[in-house]
Amino acid sequence: MQELIDLLTGAGREIFGPATAAFALAAIGLNVHFGLTGLLNMGHAGFMLLGMYGYAITVRETGNMWLGILAATVAAIVFGLLLGWPTLKLRGDYLAIVTIAASEFVRFLGRSQVFKDLTGGSTGIRGTDFKEPFESLSPFPDKLVTIGPFTMHGSRSSSWWLVVVAWVIVGLFALLFWRLANSPWGRVLKGIREDEDAVRSLGKNVYAFKMQALVLGGVIGAFGGVLFALANAVQPDSMGRPTTFWVWTLLLLGGAATVFGPILGSILFWVSLVTVRGLAGWFIPENVMSATEREPFSLVLVGITLMCLVVFRPQGILGNKRELVISG
Amino acid sequence: MIKTLDRRTVIRALIVFVVGAALLTIAQIAVGDSAAAAPAAGTETAIAQAADAAAGSADLTDVEDPSVVEEDPGSPNPSGTTSRPLQLLFNGIIFGLLLALASVGLSLIYGTTGLSNFAHGEQVSFGAVLTYFLTTQQPVGLPFIPNDFVIGLPLIPAALIAVAVSAFTGWLQDKYLWSPLRRKRAAMVQQMIVSIGLSLALLNLLQWWIGGRRLRLTTAIDERWTIGPIVVGRTALFSGLIAIVCLLGVSFFLLRTRLGRATRAVADNPSLAAASGIKVDSIVRLVWIIAAGLAGLGGILLGLYDQGTAFDAGARMLLLMFAAVTLGGLGQAFGALAGSLVIGIVVEMSSLWLSTDLKIATALIILIGVLLVRPQGILGRAERVG
Amino acid sequence: MVNAPLSPAAEYFKDVPHEPGAPKPDPVIKATDVHRHFGGLTAVQVDHLEIQRNAITALIGPNGAGKSTFFNLLTGFDKPQRGQWWFNGNSLQSRSPAQVARAGMVRTFQLTKALNRMTVMENMRLGAPLQRGENMIAALFPALWRDHEKEITAKAEELLARFKLDTKKDDYAGELSGGQRKLLEMARALMSDPEIVMLDEPMAGVNPALTESLLDHIVELRNEGVTVLFVEHDMHMVRRISDWVVVMAEGRIIAEGPPETVMQNPAVQDAYLGAHHDTDLFEERQ
Repeated sequence: MQELIDLLTGAGREIFGPATAAFALAAIGLNVHFGLTGLLNMGHAGFMLLGMYGYAITVRETGNMWLGILAATVAAIVFGLLLGWPTLKLRGDYLAIVTIAASEFVRFLGRSQVFKDLTGGSTGIRGTDFKEPFESLSPFPDKLVTIGPFTMHGSRSSSWWLVVVAWVIVGLFALLFWRLANSPWGRVLKGIREDEDAVRSLGKNVYAFKMQALVLGGVIGAFGGVLFALANAVQPDSMGRPTTFWVWTLLLLGGAATVFGPILGSILFWVSLVTVRGLAGWFIPENVMSATEREPFSLVLVGITLMCLVVFRPQGILGNKRELVISG
Repeated sequence: MIKTLDRRTVIRALIVFVVGAALLTIAQIAVGDSAAAAPAAGTETAIAQAADAAAGSADLTDVEDPSVVEEDPGSPNPSGTTSRPLQLLFNGIIFGLLLALASVGLSLIYGTTGLSNFAHGEQVSFGAVLTYFLTTQQPVGLPFIPNDFVIGLPLIPAALIAVAVSAFTGWLQDKYLWSPLRRKRAAMVQQMIVSIGLSLALLNLLQWWIGGRRLRLTTAIDERWTIGPIVVGRTALFSGLIAIVCLLGVSFFLLRTRLGRATRAVADNPSLAAASGIKVDSIVRLVWIIAAGLAGLGGILLGLYDQGTAFDAGARMLLLMFAAVTLGGLGQAFGALAGSLVIGIVVEMSSLWLSTDLKIATALIILIGVLLVRPQGILGRAERVG
Repeated sequence: MVNAPLSPAAEYFKDVPHEPGAPKPDPVIKATDVHRHFGGLTAVQVDHLEIQRNAITALIGPNGAGKSTFFNLLTGFDKPQRGQWWFNGNSLQSRSPAQVARAGMVRTFQLTKALNRMTVMENMRLGAPLQRGENMIAALFPALWRDHEKEITAKAEELLARFKLDTKKDDYAGELSGGQRKLLEMARALMSDPEIVMLDEPMAGVNPALTESLLDHIVELRNEGVTVLFVEHDMHMVRRISDWVVVMAEGRIIAEGPPETVMQNPAVQDAYLGAHHDTDLFEERQ
């Protein structure tokens, strides 16, 4: 019985946990790219990682949280501009390859021995180096706090404070997405998603719009990275190709081009992951599947889910079939 | 099939490459330590990779440093090698040949169906992992089956079985996944994302099956011979020779046989080929079988050459494969061969002046540069690009 | 029914010689020495062409004549190896398609580009120029663009009523019939009050019942002061409504003149020899 309660609490915690919020935010950014504009950004982890590095390195050197946020924003903007300049003229699958290459490149540089002094190499940057300014603002007590069935630290790392801040930020950006998607600017992007040449023939500068979408979505992704770093640490390998694919999965799950799709998708994704791992541990004996095997097992299911989603229900849960982003 | 190179574009590509490499070098000097002694960094990275892989995160860093041929880390002239550039050139050619085995299939799949197959890396890993499964003296198991067992076949039969099974998985994929999707007229975006999901599933399936540790395909000690100024490992030489034979076989098939010519026709222009009576679906099925088989073989040979493999060996190569295929021209099989050799040589020789863990960076710069100045690659046609 | 010989635009062409490259009294477009080749194949080689303002000009020719390529060149969707052309005296030669459209030259496409996953009304609103709300920052503050949006919507409703699509305004464009989508594309093109409308095979794929309606709309446009240039295979349409015909073959202009005389031209008949000019054929895109 206790095991059931542990499973439920563990899964329940994922509904509002900071990682869920971080990924929801990243997915909102990807939603601007793919849901609104149809850009095949397969390197979203690169934006997230740059956000993390920008924030953590700046805070480590200056101790100022706001400068850190500024740095994360600037890093994302520059990366978006660099990425967009050659690729926005290319066709979809070329864009996909280049974005993967570019974000692997970022991870590579961060991970390499050469830049170790700046980025911490493959071990990354420890929490103690950059979390303090944020955590010092917390009104929560500096100890474990239990609310309902959930116990988390008041202010450190994955804390109640971070949960509150993270979801407020997610809410703000969801509102921003809603506002922009239903504006003339959003309308042009939707047109570009459908047919660029048609939009050009109506006098709009397609390249400029795509660049704006790329940069905006990238900045939002970077903030998602910052939230993730505040909950864990800055580690280049946590932002690799699989991470990008998870964000895609949870975006498509919830419903691309919808306002709440990224949020719903993130919640479902993390809850399911934890639940599957828990159930696997519960029902499958240790000698058939060891503890270390549970993680890849659950991720196999994630991969299969992504495939089935795209084939059978590309509009996700909340999506409108008539407004399918991926045409069948 | 061979088109004349546009000299201006090649020069532009070279400029982009040189500028990019120069920037990297400058950044390296300005920000970090000076280029670490190549062999030391090479082995360290390999160990770090194995450790990370064991910890569960899919480690997608650079390929093991094939210059592990140098046995004495830290010494400026590792035993045997008297000319580092020539040694790296040789390593690069061998690596390029093995890369070509994996990339040719990727290029043919793109040419005949338009699909950028993100799961191709796993196709490479599968061949290597299956061979390990069949040859190792360590107990191995299957997912969901509680007992471990040892199969312990000798290397060559195991490798042949693994290649055959790999080819069979290509057949399976096309029959039950890709051709139904094509019949449904699924959009390219949809198919691409399906391949991404497949890649995720297969990567984790392999990790679940065989674990995260480094896998040795053979416990035989590798002999080293010194030929002129370079040191040549026996496995390296034989891998290269096998690769050359297979690539020659593929070339003969494509150039001289009727089926091969039909394949090139489909890769060039599927609708035109269909209109001339070629059974496109059968050709595509054949392409998948060949591509998967070659990828599997490539994985095995790379596992021998690197003295080890892992569940993500192919995943780590995926970007290099895409770089090679893009450089040569998406859809051009011979382009993939040329591109792989260029990438192999450049990646290896870049450690002459760049730290080894930045090696892959040069390939990525080439990739981005090519897409900038000539998206259709060296041999491709301009019409193919958006 | 429209009687071409009595159309007011016929006035303009009274003194224009019936030869390729003939100058027009009030040209809205002028093109000179335009060359476009693909590898070894010369697609377009036009020495001189002038399009008369406020008239309906047809650009015809057998398959592969280079009409669509020339069309794409004029509207900025393709770049020639060399050539110059002017719109109202302003050079357009290195302009992007969007710039060409903003200058007042709007086009439609042979394969209709109605944006299927947007509603008819959204399609129309997209066509309006100079929308402040299309700026990313301004988009955040509805107060800045709400009024303009209302104006655009009113104008769209007017145009939709004129093209008999007003009942469909909240339907997704993908749900309309092929002919209705063509009308939508035309209506959308008019949202910016263009000076010249370039129609790329407007009759392609349209059922005969709708053809009359389309023809009437095009004539209405001309009567309101808009210049129309269209590429077409359908000789029936060409004879019915065009004020002037330009004939292309193998990339060159081989004849110009009013519809009745151009058909009699032996060079034109030679060019069409063997071609079926009363069937609707899809020209192979270059």
